Amino acid sequence: MSEMHTIVCMKVVPMPEEVRVNQETMTLDRANARSIFNPPDMNALEMALQLKQAHGGSISVLSMGPPFFERYLRLALCMGADRAFLLSDRAFGGADTLGTSRTLAAAIEKIGRYELVLCGEESSDGATAQVPPGIAEWLGTPQVTYAIELEVDYWNRRLRARREIKGGHELLLAPLPAVVSVKTGVNEPRFLDWTLRPWAEGQDLVTVWSAEDLGVDLEEVGVKGSATIVGGVGQSASRERRREFITGAPEDEARQILERIGQYLSER
Amino acid sequence: MTSSLYGPADARGVWVFLEQEEGKLESVSLELLGKGRELADALDCPLTGLLVGYALGDSPARAVACGADEVLVVEHPDLQVYTTEPFTSVVHHLALERKPDVLLLGATPNGRDLAGRLAVRLRTGLTADCTGLTIDPERRLLSGEVVGFGGGIVATILCPEHRPQMATVRPGIFAQPEPDLKRKGEIRALPASLDAADFRVHVLERSVSEEPDLTRAGIVVAVGRGARGDLELAQRLAGLLDAEIGGTRVAADLGWIPRARQIGQTGVVTQPKLVICCGISGAIHFTVGIDKAECVVAINTDPEAPIFEHADYCVTDDMFAVLACLAEQIAGARAVTG
Amino acid sequence: MTSAYGDITRAGRRKLWLDAREEAAMPEDSDAYTRAGRRKLDMDLATIPGISQPDGDVLVLDDALWERVVVATRGLAAQCFQCGVCTAICPWGQVKSEPVLIRRLVREAQMGAPGWPEAVWLCTTCGRCEALCPRGVDIPEVILALRGLAWRDREEPQGFPTLLWNVYWDGNPYGRPPSQRSDWMKGLDLPDFSGDQEVLLYAGCTASYDPRIQKIARAVVQVLRAAGVEFGVLKDREPCCGDAVRNAGHADYADDIAAEGSKLFRELGVRTVVTVSPHCLDQFLHHFDMPPEFRALHYTQYLRELIASGRLRVEGELPLKVTFHDPCYLGRQNGDYDSPREVLASIPGVELLEMRHNREEALCCGGGGGRMWLETAANERFASVRVAEARETGAEIIGSACPHCVSCLEDSIPGDASIRVADVAEILAWALAKPARVEAGVAS
Repeated sequence: MSEMHTIVCMKVVPMPEEVRVNQETMTLDRANARSIFNPPDMNALEMALQLKQAHGGSISVLSMGPPFFERYLRLALCMGADRAFLLSDRAFGGADTLGTSRTLAAAIEKIGRYELVLCGEESSDGATAQVPPGIAEWLGTPQVTYAIELEVDYWNRRLRARREIKGGHELLLAPLPAVVSVKTGVNEPRFLDWTLRPWAEGQDLVTVWSAEDLGVDLEEVGVKGSATIVGGVGQSASRERRREFITGAPEDEARQILERIGQYLSER
Repeated sequence: MTSSLYGPADARGVWVFLEQEEGKLESVSLELLGKGRELADALDCPLTGLLVGYALGDSPARAVACGADEVLVVEHPDLQVYTTEPFTSVVHHLALERKPDVLLLGATPNGRDLAGRLAVRLRTGLTADCTGLTIDPERRLLSGEVVGFGGGIVATILCPEHRPQMATVRPGIFAQPEPDLKRKGEIRALPASLDAADFRVHVLERSVSEEPDLTRAGIVVAVGRGARGDLELAQRLAGLLDAEIGGTRVAADLGWIPRARQIGQTGVVTQPKLVICCGISGAIHFTVGIDKAECVVAINTDPEAPIFEHADYCVTDDMFAVLACLAEQIAGARAVTG
Repeated sequence: MTSAYGDITRAGRRKLWLDAREEAAMPEDSDAYTRAGRRKLDMDLATIPGISQPDGDVLVLDDALWERVVVATRGLAAQCFQCGVCTAICPWGQVKSEPVLIRRLVREAQMGAPGWPEAVWLCTTCGRCEALCPRGVDIPEVILALRGLAWRDREEPQGFPTLLWNVYWDGNPYGRPPSQRSDWMKGLDLPDFSGDQEVLLYAGCTASYDPRIQKIARAVVQVLRAAGVEFGVLKDREPCCGDAVRNAGHADYADDIAAEGSKLFRELGVRTVVTVSPHCLDQFLHHFDMPPEFRALHYTQYLRELIASGRLRVEGELPLKVTFHDPCYLGRQNGDYDSPREVLASIPGVELLEMRHNREEALCCGGGGGRMWLETAANERFASVRVAEARETGAEIIGSACPHCVSCLEDSIPGDASIRVADVAEILAWALAKPARVEAGVAS
């Protein structure tokens, strides 16, 4: 039997503090924001790397976005992934979770045989958590979301996963191949392996695919393949703390605090 | 374009997918019934509750009391425990058969697990983790408010041409309706047509407990050196707010709180909606643990305390005096509203 | 076989020992070099995984491991003759029931033994052992090198990868947004460094982001302004110096940070950089690649020059009993015990009291060596011992000159103690705010 192959979907996202809303066009201005790997996706990659340590096999990293994402994918290689795929085409742009999951699923099928697709539970920009179940549906595989622990029984082609549910957790047994989304913060992503840095620059390690390469119907990807539209965006109250000083006698102070935090106190 | 399986012209009705645990409806499901009632009234259409599971107890009746005009019940022993694919198939079939205009789910782990898969199977749009919902009755368009980028950006999302318009909604956003036991509604038991192929994933064990988890707490009351070992008022407030107690390294060192409740660099990084910091000076090794909170209240006698740099609302006063008043006023307000 | 660090074959190793023995004029019966002693030593080492099987009556180390460790430590441990002064002097001995066996760590480094005991991560790189080592072994350097190997084996402690990622993504070990780096200088209206000013004031990550330490940076600004110093700051462009990374044991990455930082400093034409933290100073002095005329100074060193040249005069009277806690990275690591003391002494009214352990023998606060990012049990903190020493002096203030020292000491002040912690810059700023002493009241 061949070796286990894990595909990790990773998104590059702008640093939250640096994204601004362009008040004229009512669109997000990400151009000046520095980018990072979506933190939950780092947890997914770390989980894949731990499985690779235990079972051997190889890891492919998959991302969708502009060409500059390539240098982030090389970071994943430096952490121990074996190769990377970047889906880069204007036709993919503006996709919602429907279009995104369609595109990623098409790429996964093109990459070939796999046992596991790992994703972070959600992205820090969109925070929908809907892409992993979407990929699983397009691929027709079982899904496990919010996984805290993952064990692979490669020989019997199945996995055991502990996943979060409301107020607790449950242990699942699922056949491979499967799509698993990894709960944020379940592990500490390893730092770059400096000894891998020269290797990770290798030309043939990152494959870039366009919509044509993928052979997807252009009606199913990007804006065209999406069902939702953005009605408007706004900057919520600045991330900076308000630092509003409240003064008075303790009972006045308490009353003023309650007026201000009332929105956070749901009736119970 | 990827088309949904039916369009706006055929769609009618607001549906709420109801989650229950041992026959008791989840609070977010009740909240959605309240909001769903409002949306259905605006659209002049019925509100349908959708219950899938086994041993559902009085959940169907309770859904009616909380605003549902009809409750579709699919009850089967094999559906006692939630797994993705059987539930997806059941809801998918019902939706295709009855063509709802709006389908709401709670943004719980299972609600989001189901919604993501179902939306793709229905080839429709899904607005995830909404913090607000409004409806345009003319265009019959649901608009969901979502926050992104760690809360920095608010966007409204619409699904103009695909049906149903799906949304998952964050728990705790909408108020639970008062149950009206006299309300009339239809409870329809529907047959479960299950496909063995959907039962690929097995739940081996499940444990639901109320053990504290600071990382998931919605509200945290945090104490520091200024608490001087007296946590009674902080605990009283935490009880009233359904909050978790946390604290600084000093508070943990001195044994006032268990180590698992230590917040910060070498403790837990929290991301609650609200954190109330009492008697905490605000060293960076603590504040990194509260930076992701949506709102920070700080109470400290020292006006120079660095914690105030990290707080939205700053009170320079004795924490015990302020906590006592806070607890009293919250309890007082509760007593009035019943 | 010869590596960049000399002959590291087994024969070469033996030669190294012999050289060391010759140099040290070791008596023949010294434990480490007699046949019996060697056997005993090898038996000790046999308990460590990775050591190969007995070969006759002598255990033999794996040559590849030997080379790896010797190369990583640059042979620094070779001089050690296992006297054990390091173990005896290590401050952990004062707080832990079990001593931390520094001697053994060094021995393992000499012998090429793998395995990463907790002790590798306990070291605060305070340098107390190095200062007293009769063979002058740079023990902190050896331990950092061992940490480097442990990183390669993925044996680093929990928290350190996050620390490094924080520096990687955010440019500071706290994971705070880069766009908030200049928050500490709000309202001060500080000029951008243009290359023309005398001095680049370098706040460093801790003074930029820790609200407590921001006050120290602001105090330094106040003092520089009082002396009429023309200086600039880098604001959001200020890079991390790499100290936290280097002390976490990742020299490879720290070297990259230093190379990037050097490039920026050269491009900006930095001739004199003044730091708030001695940790940043250490990086600039020893790891940045700068032209010979480049000067890196801790602010206390710069102030001492200003005082000597008459540019800074403190006239305000500040009657205060101060005991000075030597930061390891100003004192032992960079040999300056006098600058902060002279700055304090220049303040009229300040009475300097010395703790039992001071200068070369000063006790570490516990915050170096990356320990700021690891939890230390409450009853095992050096700072508690240090605060107790400080209280014995009768001082009202523990003065220090390092962000980590100030944080650690402040955290260890017992609730019932009246003693407080302040940075030298803060004490100086208090004095500058005081009215001048009435001359008549001063006896000549």
